[in-house]
Amino acid sequence: MNRFDLLNKIQNFLKDNLIICNIGLPSQELYKINDQPNFFYMLGSMGLSSSIGLGLSLSQTKQVISIDGDGSVLMNMNTLATIGNRAPSNYTLLIIDNGSYGSTGDQRTFTDENTSLKDVAVGAGCKKVIECSGEETLNELSKAIEDKNNSYVIISKINSGNVKIDPIPLNPITIRDRFRKFIGIVKYL
Amino acid sequence: MKISKKIIDNLKKGGVDFYLSVPCKLLANMIEILENDKDVYYSAVPREEEGMGICAGAYLGNKFPCIMMQNTGIGNSVNAIVSLLQLYQMPVVFLISYRGTPGEPVGAQGGMAKITEDILQTLRIPMLHCSSENDLDKISTFSKHAKVVESPVAILCDFNLMKDDT
Repeated sequence: MNRFDLLNKIQNFLKDNLIICNIGLPSQELYKINDQPNFFYMLGSMGLSSSIGLGLSLSQTKQVISIDGDGSVLMNMNTLATIGNRAPSNYTLLIIDNGSYGSTGDQRTFTDENTSLKDVAVGAGCKKVIECSGEETLNELSKAIEDKNNSYVIISKINSGNVKIDPIPLNPITIRDRFRKFIGIVKYL
Repeated sequence: MKISKKIIDNLKKGGVDFYLSVPCKLLANMIEILENDKDVYYSAVPREEEGMGICAGAYLGNKFPCIMMQNTGIGNSVNAIVSLLQLYQMPVVFLISYRGTPGEPVGAQGGMAKITEDILQTLRIPMLHCSSENDLDKISTFSKHAKVVESPVAILCDFNLMKDDT
């Protein structure tokens, strides 16, 4: 199972929640599978999907899922400490860990060598840290969302590999405003 | 405490209700005030760039965020400012302790101080430079301006303004 297969498998589950999606291929694949206004596609700022989702979950009550990658989490590991100490129960970080920098040509990341993001997250203070296969991810995600008392970090171990895909044609303000309209903040659209 | 209290009062008057900080000695009183304020959210964060991401999320969730940091933090955050906050036009207030300005005892702070305003200017970020207590009265209007123009804005507080605020 690669990232595209996984996103396909969990897409129905993403419809009702607020989704922050990592820059590059993850966002492009999600857009191609089934574009939704409750998907916030990152067009820049690699590394910050986890942090954006954290800020969003602290600011309103809907469920938030940050879809992140191993390369991006390695770039912003300090935020795991913030999550471990501050994340509210409506926050889930889904790290799609394929051991490679998929958007830049599948160069290996350190999770393909000695680094365990599970151990890092536990050490950073995250209480509910699940490492699972791509096949198990949907089940683990739904358990995390049903649990109203805890935030979760789910590390989904999958294969690397990408599909051929175009950049997202939406402009950033469209992404921003339709996302905020979904939450109920923007009234003018 | 008087200066710090005035800054927080003016930020709140400007609508800011979500605060993060990467600590600085000059921000210590403000952090203490915010930790005891039940009306607003406050947390420390380990790194400024990450704070920019959390602020972006808070804005998406209808908060008006502020990140407090040393001017060095701008250097840690340039890409997040440009390709997140500015790209999606997100109002965020940067409350910056302007280390390396006259009065600063640590010589090494001078390097970032020399280029801080140049960086902000290059990024086209509106600046409010506070060097006296009277300047602080402009903070609430300036914060509201961030929302009007949908842009991050920067408030720079000089070392000498903050240093005796015990």
